[in-house]
Amino acid sequence: MRQEDKNKLVDYRQLVIEAYENASKERHVSWALKLLSFPFQLIVLIRYLFNKRKDDSKHLIEKVEQEFKENGEAAALKKELLIQEQRKVSFLDQSMSQSQIEKSSENHFQEAYHQEIKKRVNSRYRKSNTLPQDFLHETTMLLRLPLGFLLSIVLGFPMYLLLWIVSVPMVRYIANRLVAMLLVIVGVIAIVFTLLYLSPSDAALNILGEQATPQQFENFNQVHGLNDPYIVQLWRIVKGVFTFDLGISFAGNERVVASIMRRFPVTLQLALFALILSVSVALPSGIYAAVKANTTFDHLFMFIALIGISIPSFWQGLIFILTFSINLGWLPATYNASNLASLIMPAVVLGTALMASVARMTRSSTLEVINQDYILTARAKGLSSKRVILRHAVPNALIPVITIIGLQFGAMLGGAAVTEQVFNISGLGSYIVNKQFIPDIPSVMAGVIYIAIALSIVNLIVDLMYSFLDPRIRSRINNGQ
Amino acid sequence: MKSYQTNQIIQQFQFNNGLTWAYSILWLFLSIELQPFGISLPLLLIGVVNTGFSMIHQMLLYRVKQKSFNVENKPVVERILAALLILGLLAGNFFTFISGIMALKKSLSTGLIYSIYMVLVDILIIGVTSLNLFKPFVTNSFLTTLSILIITLVFHSLTLAFGQKVSNWNPGSQKFGLGLLLLSGLTGNLLVFLVAASFYSDNQPESKGKRQTSIRENLIKNHAALLGLLFISFLVTLALTSNFTFSYSFAVQNNYSNILQSPSIQYPFGTDNFGRDVFTRIVYGTQISLSVGVLATAIPLLIGGALGAISGFYGRQTDNIIMRLLDILYAIPGLLLAITIVAAFGASTTNLIIALSLGYIPSYARTMRANVLQVTNLEYIEAARALGQNNTQIILKHVIPNSMAPMIVRSTLTIGTAVIATSSLSYLGLGVEAHIPEWGNILRIGSQYLETYPYLAIYPGLAIILLVLSFNFLGDGIRDATDPRLN
Repeated sequence: MRQEDKNKLVDYRQLVIEAYENASKERHVSWALKLLSFPFQLIVLIRYLFNKRKDDSKHLIEKVEQEFKENGEAAALKKELLIQEQRKVSFLDQSMSQSQIEKSSENHFQEAYHQEIKKRVNSRYRKSNTLPQDFLHETTMLLRLPLGFLLSIVLGFPMYLLLWIVSVPMVRYIANRLVAMLLVIVGVIAIVFTLLYLSPSDAALNILGEQATPQQFENFNQVHGLNDPYIVQLWRIVKGVFTFDLGISFAGNERVVASIMRRFPVTLQLALFALILSVSVALPSGIYAAVKANTTFDHLFMFIALIGISIPSFWQGLIFILTFSINLGWLPATYNASNLASLIMPAVVLGTALMASVARMTRSSTLEVINQDYILTARAKGLSSKRVILRHAVPNALIPVITIIGLQFGAMLGGAAVTEQVFNISGLGSYIVNKQFIPDIPSVMAGVIYIAIALSIVNLIVDLMYSFLDPRIRSRINNGQ
Repeated sequence: MKSYQTNQIIQQFQFNNGLTWAYSILWLFLSIELQPFGISLPLLLIGVVNTGFSMIHQMLLYRVKQKSFNVENKPVVERILAALLILGLLAGNFFTFISGIMALKKSLSTGLIYSIYMVLVDILIIGVTSLNLFKPFVTNSFLTTLSILIITLVFHSLTLAFGQKVSNWNPGSQKFGLGLLLLSGLTGNLLVFLVAASFYSDNQPESKGKRQTSIRENLIKNHAALLGLLFISFLVTLALTSNFTFSYSFAVQNNYSNILQSPSIQYPFGTDNFGRDVFTRIVYGTQISLSVGVLATAIPLLIGGALGAISGFYGRQTDNIIMRLLDILYAIPGLLLAITIVAAFGASTTNLIIALSLGYIPSYARTMRANVLQVTNLEYIEAARALGQNNTQIILKHVIPNSMAPMIVRSTLTIGTAVIATSSLSYLGLGVEAHIPEWGNILRIGSQYLETYPYLAIYPGLAIILLVLSFNFLGDGIRDATDPRLN
């Protein structure tokens, strides 16, 4: 029993060592590993320096180099490369002076020389069955010892977390995406802030008006930190976005994040409602149009979808209000939180563009899949037409559709500004537009940044979903590509 | 077995048949007045006449579909029916006109089909321009421009009728004719250039029997794209000629004795709350919408295309840095980026163009990068490199020309999006300055009178939809024309 446990432990240690060696092949990962297990690496360093005195790898390289030069192989290589270069120049009719040719052949020679030396040294090592004395080797040697392994766990625990992330492909993929998303968010903050910082207008003058005293101006700038240098302000914003504290707005003296968080649910509710509505219409009709390709229904439907893309949402909203509220009196013209019917028109208007593009995408990708060989196989097996479409064609056709939905969702959150303005909804979009007229810089900035963040998160989720659903992508990730 | 040309005619007829019926029913529908209930006689008359033409069209479609139909040797009945259909133009029915000419002509070359649409553009523009005759006064250059337009129409009609016989002329007069045709393109009629290009390439000695594969030649199979092209050409011509034929004072000068008039022959789309003629405002709005749309497409096409080409060709670090930076730009929705820029620098047309262009750069760069990645792995790039060409030469001569097709499609589609974005921002008060007649601005005023004077909001919106729809049709057409799988 005990022996088995011990074996398991040894196996496990072997696994860790292999993972460590693999991870160290990438330079930046290897540095990060070293940094995270700094105290442990110190011990390794001491051992390394101690062992190095006994090491003869330097001598070996010198010996090989000397041998290579003395038996005339180096000179022969140099001459051959020079001739090659001359031939190349004469063949391509390039006009190069003799010195240029010599210079470029010398470069080639240096490269070939180092490669040759490296090759010879390695073959020496292989023959004598030893390994060059280096830091990585030293580390793994130490990890092989039970005491060393224990030390590494105690002294360099964070290293193992990174090792886990790096060596499990799926985890690594997710971690990469998360880091990329964080960088994008910081970049978005920097761009939005810089644009607003470069604004030629004086915020204090805009808000306080001409009659304000210099004391008031000074006070205003002090309160909003406008006197600080660019980098300090930017840092404050970056910190503020992640800690949900972006100060107070220029006008109205309200906390920016609080008022945004109050309006965000409204926009999100509208967007989700529109998303559900449009996807539930677009998917079935897109699939049906593909099945009935080139019929009147298909042509008519695609024409309607094209109109859906071409229609400006604010005009569509106005026409809807004119028809359904003013002329027919079926639906209320403005949004009211307590009345769910008032959400129908805004959701349809906001969702039209998404509905149209998803329907078009569904149709074209279903058409592409339907014409593939495995569908023919499925039919030949005698499956019913319904089963072939729903079970074999649609799941594969949906993959590009998911991307389109993710992308269009972003356009929808941006487009919400217009729709909210038309239907008088107090969501985040209309908040940004209204604050823009003042212009209330912190509010506009916070609104834009938080929408962009929400979008990045949605896109990340869509991307990850994609990679879990599509076996092709999953296997590519697992193969470390 | 039907000949290729017969199939071409049948397809065109089937396409036009639905449209001409829809067009007739639209007129009949419009003739019904709701409050008080009644029927407008002139509109009903137009509707009835159009229904008659639709019936003839249906009849001819039936006859053309018969097995015995032969393009080379048409019976007299078909010819008479086709000639009747051409007369549909008098009732404003373009679709029967197109079908009629196609059924009447002996051979259908690319140039001929483009000429039909070219003539239609001329007719449309003259019709719209002559609406000015009902105004209290016209501009000084009105009569001159109108006569130039009429002369152009006559010349283009002659091209349509006899253009195919041009190959029998001697080279000198051929060149002269083509030059004259190109000169008539100065009115803004884009189709003229397509016609000239088709006639020119048909006359080349090596063109006989050659398979037709260029975008221009493939596009004629897509009837919707041609209609889109027709409307775009019409708007471009209108934008150019309106400076000489429409009086700008109707569009911008307040006239308080004429506030909120209903549509009439003098003010086809009515007047707004300052007594300005909405029709003239929409006509002048074409200039802004088209130029903003084109500029907001051309700038990101160049910048995004260059960035995409560089990052796709050089790969590795360059690619990483450029694409990561563009990812950041991509994360901000275009409309919000525009709002941010307007908040910082104020609302003006220049800022609007910059804001829209900035937002479109990443998607162009991504498209270009994907194409370039595909192209750089092909053998001819390797061959060029083996022949000692440097990177700049390879990029400019081989990579970019071979990865342009998707970029052209994308830019056609983006013009439409840019037009919508422009009018949306103007509607919010963030786009073009409020005093300039721009479609979004006109709609903004219209939205305030939605209950009482809905036409103020309906017509500019229709103009936007038609323009965007045309670009979408054209973009879809070009996409199909460049897709090798569909050829």
